[in-house]
Amino acid sequence: MSLLSVKNLQVTFNTEAGLVEAVRGVSFELGRERLGIVGESGSGKTMTGRAVLRLIRPPGRIMADAMTFDGQDLMAASEAQMRALRGRRIAMVMQDPKFSLNPVMRVGAQLMEGLRQRDHVSRAVAYAKAVAALDAVQIRDVDRVMEAYPHELSGGMGQRVMIAMMLIPNPDLLIADEPTSALDVTVQAEVLSILDALVRDRGMGLIFISHDLRLVARFCDRVLVMYKGRIVEEIAAKDLLHARHPYTQGLLNCLPRIGGTRGPLPGLDRNAEWAM
Amino acid sequence: MTMASSSWSTWLREPNPASRLQSRLVQAWLSWLRFRRNPLAMIGLAISVALVLMSIFAPLLAPYDPIAQALGNRLLPPGTPGHWMGTDDFGRDIWSRILFGSRITLYIVLLVILTAPVVGLIIGTVAGYFGGWIDQVLMRITDIFLAFPKLILALALVAVLGPGMVNAVLAIALTSWPPYARVARAETLTVRNSDYIAAVKLQGAGAMRVILGHVMPMCLPSVIIRVTLDMAGVILTAAGLGFLGLGVQPPMPEWGLMISAGRKFLFEQWWVATMPGLAIFIVSLGFNLLGDGLRDVLDPRSSGR
Amino acid sequence: MGDVMALIEIENLSVTFNANGRRVRAVEAVSLKVGEKASFGLVGESGSGKSTILRAICGLAPVSAGRIRIGGEAVQSPRGKAFSAQVQMVFQDPYASLHPRHTVDRTLSEPLAIHGIGDRDARVMTALTDVGLPTSFRFRYPHQLSGGQRQRVAIARALMLKPQILLLDEPTSALDASVQAEVLNLLMRLREERGLTFLMVSHDLAVIDHMCDRVLVMQNGRAVEELSRTALASAQMQTDYARSLFAASADRMLEG
Ligand SMILES: Nc1ncnc2c1ncn2[C@@H]1O[C@H](COP(=O)(O)OP(=O)(O)OP(=O)(O)O)[C@@H](O)[C@H]1O
Ligand SMILES: Nc1ncnc2c1ncn2[C@@H]1O[C@H](COP(=O)(O)OP(=O)(O)OP(=O)(O)O)[C@@H](O)[C@H]1O
Ligand SMILES: [Mg+2]
Ligand SMILES: [Mg+2]
Repeated sequence: MSLLSVKNLQVTFNTEAGLVEAVRGVSFELGRERLGIVGESGSGKTMTGRAVLRLIRPPGRIMADAMTFDGQDLMAASEAQMRALRGRRIAMVMQDPKFSLNPVMRVGAQLMEGLRQRDHVSRAVAYAKAVAALDAVQIRDVDRVMEAYPHELSGGMGQRVMIAMMLIPNPDLLIADEPTSALDVTVQAEVLSILDALVRDRGMGLIFISHDLRLVARFCDRVLVMYKGRIVEEIAAKDLLHARHPYTQGLLNCLPRIGGTRGPLPGLDRNAEWAM
Repeated sequence: MTMASSSWSTWLREPNPASRLQSRLVQAWLSWLRFRRNPLAMIGLAISVALVLMSIFAPLLAPYDPIAQALGNRLLPPGTPGHWMGTDDFGRDIWSRILFGSRITLYIVLLVILTAPVVGLIIGTVAGYFGGWIDQVLMRITDIFLAFPKLILALALVAVLGPGMVNAVLAIALTSWPPYARVARAETLTVRNSDYIAAVKLQGAGAMRVILGHVMPMCLPSVIIRVTLDMAGVILTAAGLGFLGLGVQPPMPEWGLMISAGRKFLFEQWWVATMPGLAIFIVSLGFNLLGDGLRDVLDPRSSGR
Repeated sequence: MGDVMALIEIENLSVTFNANGRRVRAVEAVSLKVGEKASFGLVGESGSGKSTILRAICGLAPVSAGRIRIGGEAVQSPRGKAFSAQVQMVFQDPYASLHPRHTVDRTLSEPLAIHGIGDRDARVMTALTDVGLPTSFRFRYPHQLSGGQRQRVAIARALMLKPQILLLDEPTSALDASVQAEVLNLLMRLREERGLTFLMVSHDLAVIDHMCDRVLVMQNGRAVEELSRTALASAQMQTDYARSLFAASADRMLEG
C-alpha cells in the first residue's frame, strides 16, 4: 500500500488580479521511495508540496479528488489532526531557509523548541538530540552554531540547519523543497546519503523538489516533470537524462558543462501545447 | 458610467503601472480589495468613518447646544420626544453632547497618533539599527517608561503639568510611545542584517538614508497595526483622566467626563452614564476591528510570497 | 600569475567574527589576484568563507589581518562613495536582496540618488533594457517578479553606478536551469560589452568552468588550491579536497 496518494490535486489562488491556477490536476502515488519533482520556476512544485500539508495561505484553495496519507484522508482531516501530522509524521524543508528561520532566535533554541514542546523531553535530552542532528548534516563547530543567530550562518549552513530541524522528529514522509541548492557537492553528497539511509532503513517516503536535473537523476527513484501546474512527464530517474519530452530535453540543454564551449547557453522554447 | 468605472478598475489593477503614482494606487487598491473581504474589519472601518463624520458635522447633526443648560428638562429618560438619548442633570441633550464629544475624542486620538508612534518609531529604529551602547541606553529609557502603569504615569504627568486637554494628550503621548519603540526595534533587528540593507549600504548610503528609506518602511506596518489596536486604550485613558477630573474640564462634553458626571445617579437615571459609555465602547471596538483587518493587509509576511 | 596588472589583490586576508564572545575565524590568510577584465571563481565547502571574502572586500565583514587592494590602492575604511562606484555585489538570494516595499524603479534609482547623478528616468530605462527586462516592469514590486526576474533587477542595480568590478555570490543557485542559463548568458554579455571584472562564488563547477578563467578552491577558511580553467577541465588537481570536489561533480562533465 502506498504511503501517500494524491488524485487530481488542484491549487488555485483567487487573487484581486484574477484566478491563478498554480497546480492543475496533479496525481501521483508515493511509496517508501525517493520521488523527485522538477520543473521550471513557477511550475507549481512548491505549491504541490505545501498542499500535501494543507499549508496554503488564503486566498489559496486546495481541491483534490482524494489525498490520503497512510490510510488517513487528508482532505477530510480537521485542522487539529493536520497539526498533529505536520512536523511529526510529515515534515517539509522549506525552500528559503532565511525566510523560514526566526532571525532573532538562536539556532539551538529553534532546534530544541519542537522537541521540548511536542515531545516534552528534558532540556538536556533535547540539547543532545539537536547536537546530534547538526552533526549528522556535517556542521563543523556544532557548539558555536547552536548559539548562533541565523544571520551568522553561511547560506549552506542555514539550509542544513533546516534539514536537521525537520529530521529530528523522525517523520514518515519528508517533503524537501530545494534542500541542497546552496550546498557544495561534497557536503551535498553527505546530506543526500543521510536522506537515502532514512528511506532505505526506516522506510521514510521522500518527495525531493529540485531544479537540479542531474542531481535528481542521480539521487531519486522516480521523477515527475512539471510545467505550468501539470505533470508533463513521469519517468524513472535513471532515464531522466535521456528524456523524450521536449520540455525536459530543453531544461537539460540549458545546463553548462565542465569543458564545454563558452558560447551562450541555449534557452528554453516553451510550447503552449505542453500545458494542455 | 459603467464604462468609466470598468476602465478605472482595470487601470487600478494594471500589472505594469506606467508611473510611480499609478503603482502606489494599484498597491493601495489591491490592499483595499483584500481588506474588503474581511467583514469585521469593514465594520471597524465604518465605525471609524462614522466617528469622523460625526465630529465634522456635529453642529449640523446636533439638535441642541451641548453646553447650554435647560434646568426645566433635567434627567429626561431616553425616548422622550426631542431627546432620544435623554438629558443629563443640567437638562442638556445627551445625544448632542456625544456628537460634540466625538470631536474631542478624535482630537485626542489624532494628536496621540501624530506624536507617540513617531517618537517610538525613531527611537526603536535607531536603537535596533546601531545596536551596542546606543541600543542599551535607549532601551533602558524605554524600560523605565514601561515599568509604570500607563494611567498612573499619565496621572503623575498631569499632576505636574496641570489639568486640561492638551496636557492630557501630552501625558498620554509621553506614556504610550515605549511599546512602539519596542515593536520598531524588534522589526529593525529582523531586517538590519538582510541582504537588501547590505546592498544599499554598499551603494554608499549613510545611516540616515538607510533608516528612513529602508528600515522604517518595514517597521511601519507593525507600528500602524499596533496604533489602531492601542487607540481604544488611548480613548479609555483620556476618558479616565476626564473621569478623574484631570483631563478635559467641565462643561466640555468629553465622554469620560460625562460618565463621571452620571455616576452619581447611575441607579435611578442609568442613561446619563451609560450613553457615553456605549459611545466609548463602540469606538474602541471599531478601532480594534480595524486594526485586526489592517494586520491582514499590511503584514509584510502575508503579501508577496 | 605575475600578469600586467592585478585589479583586485588580496594578501593574507583573515576575517574573524566575534559572535557572542566566541571568535569565529571565517577566513584565514587567503591571498588571490584577479587581473583586469578577468573572471575569477571561488569554490569550496559550505561555510568555508567564500561569501565572507566578498563581504570583506565590500567592508561588510571585520578584517582582522591582511590587505585588500583595488587597482593597486589599498581600500579605505569605511569604503566611501568612490568605492561603491567601482565595486558592486550581487547577492545569492534574489528573494532576500530586493527591498520588499520598493518598486523596481526605486531600487534602481536609489544608487543614482545617493551619488547625486541626474537623468534618472532615462538611466533606469536603459538599465532595465540592458538586463533584458521589459520597461513595463519599472513600477512593479519584487513580489510581482519571478526569481530570475528579481536576479536581473539585482544585477541591474549593481550596474547602475557603472562599476568595473562585480562580486557575484552564487548568482544562480536559487534559479532553475532555464533561468540560470538566461542569467549566465546575460552576465557573459555584459562582461564582454563593458569589460567587467568578475569575482564569482559558486558551488557548481560547471557554472564556474563556464564563466571563469581561474578558480580558487577553499576549505574551512583556507585557500586549498588555485586552478586554471584548463587544469579544472582536465582534472589536474594537486590536493585531495579539490579532487574530491571534482569527483563529486562527475555528472557535470561534457558527455564521454
Ligand atoms: N499567494 C499567491 N497568490 C497568487 N499566486 C501565487 C501565490 N503563491 C504562488 N502563486 C503562483 O503559483 C505558481 C506556482 O508557484 P510555486 O511556488 O509552486 O512554483 P515553484 O515550481 O516552486 O517555483 P520555484 O522553482 O521558483 O520555487 C506560480 O505561478 C506563482 O506565481
Ligand atoms: N556575522 C557573522 N557572525 C559570526 N559568524 C559568521 C558571520 N557571518 C559568517 N559567519 C561564519 O563564517 C563562516 C564562513 O561563512 P561564509 O558565509 O563566508 O561561508 P560560505 O563559504 O559562503 O558558505 P556557503 O557556501 O554555505 O554560503 C561560517 O562558519 C559562518 O558561520
Ligand atoms: Mg518553489
Ligand atoms: Mg555563501
